[in-house]
Amino acid sequence: MTSAPAMTGARATLRVCLVGGLISYRALFNWISPALYIPTMLLGPVFQILFFVYLGRFVQLRDDSFFVVGNAVQISGMSGVYAGVMAIANERQFQTLSALLASPANRPALFIGRALPVIANGLIVSAWGFGVSALLLHFRPAASSLAPLALVVLVSVVSCTAWGLTLGSLGMRFRDVFMIANLAYYLMWVFCGVNLPESALPTAMVWIGRALPMTHGIQAAREIAAGGSLGGAAGLIGVELGIAAAYLVAALLLFRLFELEGKRRATLEQA
Amino acid sequence: MTAPVIEVEGLRRTYRVSTGAVRRRTLEVEAVRGISFSVGEGELFGLLGPNGAGKTTTIKMLITLLVPTSGTARVLGFDVVRQSREVRKRIGYVFGGDRGLYDRLSGLDNLRYFAELYGVPPREQKRRIFELLDLVGLNGREGERVEGYSRGMRQRLHVARGLLHDPPVVFLDEPTIGVDPVGARELRATMAALVSAGKTVLLTTHYMFEADALCNRIAVIAKGQIVAEGSPSALKAMVTDGVVVELEAYDPPPGGADALRRVPGVARVTVEERDQAQLFVVQAAAGFEGTPELIAALGDARLTRVATREPTLEDAYVALVEGASG
Ligand SMILES: Nc1ncnc2c1ncn2[C@@H]1O[C@H](COP(=O)(O)OP(=O)(O)OP(=O)(O)O)[C@@H](O)[C@H]1O
Ligand SMILES: [Mg+2]
Repeated sequence: MTSAPAMTGARATLRVCLVGGLISYRALFNWISPALYIPTMLLGPVFQILFFVYLGRFVQLRDDSFFVVGNAVQISGMSGVYAGVMAIANERQFQTLSALLASPANRPALFIGRALPVIANGLIVSAWGFGVSALLLHFRPAASSLAPLALVVLVSVVSCTAWGLTLGSLGMRFRDVFMIANLAYYLMWVFCGVNLPESALPTAMVWIGRALPMTHGIQAAREIAAGGSLGGAAGLIGVELGIAAAYLVAALLLFRLFELEGKRRATLEQA
Repeated sequence: MTAPVIEVEGLRRTYRVSTGAVRRRTLEVEAVRGISFSVGEGELFGLLGPNGAGKTTTIKMLITLLVPTSGTARVLGFDVVRQSREVRKRIGYVFGGDRGLYDRLSGLDNLRYFAELYGVPPREQKRRIFELLDLVGLNGREGERVEGYSRGMRQRLHVARGLLHDPPVVFLDEPTIGVDPVGARELRATMAALVSAGKTVLLTTHYMFEADALCNRIAVIAKGQIVAEGSPSALKAMVTDGVVVELEAYDPPPGGADALRRVPGVARVTVEERDQAQLFVVQAAAGFEGTPELIAALGDARLTRVATREPTLEDAYVALVEGASG
């Protein structure tokens, strides 16, 4: 039973990222079954959008578009935050973490690979949110702003997922990270301007919001939905991308740190 | 002779554990206390010892999942701490137990995932996976989710996973646990085949006949230290170069074992409880003729069986481990 030498460098890394990412998505993503996916990823977000749009109509402070865009972008973040946590916390719970860590697989490729299906899912959820809003709430952005809007959503989902991975890395060290994920998710509601303009928040909260994913993305999406050009929103999109990169780097560094620490303190297998 | 494949020098590992719900204190558990051994290419080396002796801890250090407190270990010349990725690429491992698989995935997808993690080339994957499914007897069940697998099926899947990338060095920690007798026999044949294919294997098991049948060399570890090392026959000879007399007795007199020990030619006596009876295992020098004296030493006890046999690895093991705890 001799076999060819293992794949070398780039190819193996790419396969771990793409093929491995997809398999582990099915292994680790709690909402993979339709019975869970439909209520959490599709129905819940619709109720959220409807609630805030009708609330907005009732208090008459902003138009529908403000709430539709804020919530339809924000719902894309749910899978990012929770899936980032699941990517590691579930490994611990299923007691597969040591099998993963005993493998020579490239760690950044492993995690970026896990993020890719999550990002795709975020895009679907957001598109669904916009689609339902178009149907039920007569939300009608200009056709020309659809592509830029999709780009902004993509960037926002990426940064939310990176933030989720950062939280996930904490799961290497701390138990009960799902609690942290819940907190992080509600934190975004308050600080990221989903249903509130920055001007409505105290300065300190505004600054916290600016360090979180999604804040700049939602602002950019609102500008574009209101007819602004992609160029006009480039600054905001750039900042959102920077935030994504920062969280991704933090996630990988923390993972590396806690992996080493876990091998010293023998804590990797405690579920 | 070529350089050893596994080299362990003065390896130690302590764990910190905290006890007490109210006033928490931290204790240090010395799981492995300075062990050294080496395993040559193509050898099947057994690590035997009682529960908690430090076998799994040792293997975890060798497969880079645990950093040693002190000492060094090298696999194929690579240091397990400083060159851990090089080590990981070249080793496979199988742990006993039903955990450590992705329950939501099929057996096949579990194998496909680990094939990716170990960089098995895509063109090879399918052939390799089905070869292994065949080897561990899971053919036809590979499409089912692992959550529906029995314990032994999971263990078989573990074995397949450990061998996916055809590693030159394999660590097996109780690989046959939970596997039915026929399956375990097949697994032993697999282990033997690995060695004849030139692979180096480190095995732990609580089944003495398994170790006796498979291992070229064995280290007995107790309380974190190696108490004996050698080939199975050398270990047997270390404890007794003679014969073993077994006496099964009902109502033996108190101090029966001591009386047996005083019989000339007797080297060691161990006692096993058997329902209401006691089984005295007497190890005696070669050419021992004192069985009548042994029977006499037990006085009025009702003897149900007296038998003389060759010493087994289990005799040697029990003596070594009891010697270490005495
Ligand atoms: N993560 C841990 N934290 C604290 N103590 C541990 C940990 N893992 C093992 N130990 C302790 O280290 C000692 C050796 O354990 P180890 O698992 O290496 O034994 P073993 O020889 O494999 O036993 P068995 O035959 O039961 O598998 C035991 O006293 C055990 O309680
Ligand atoms: Mg063990």
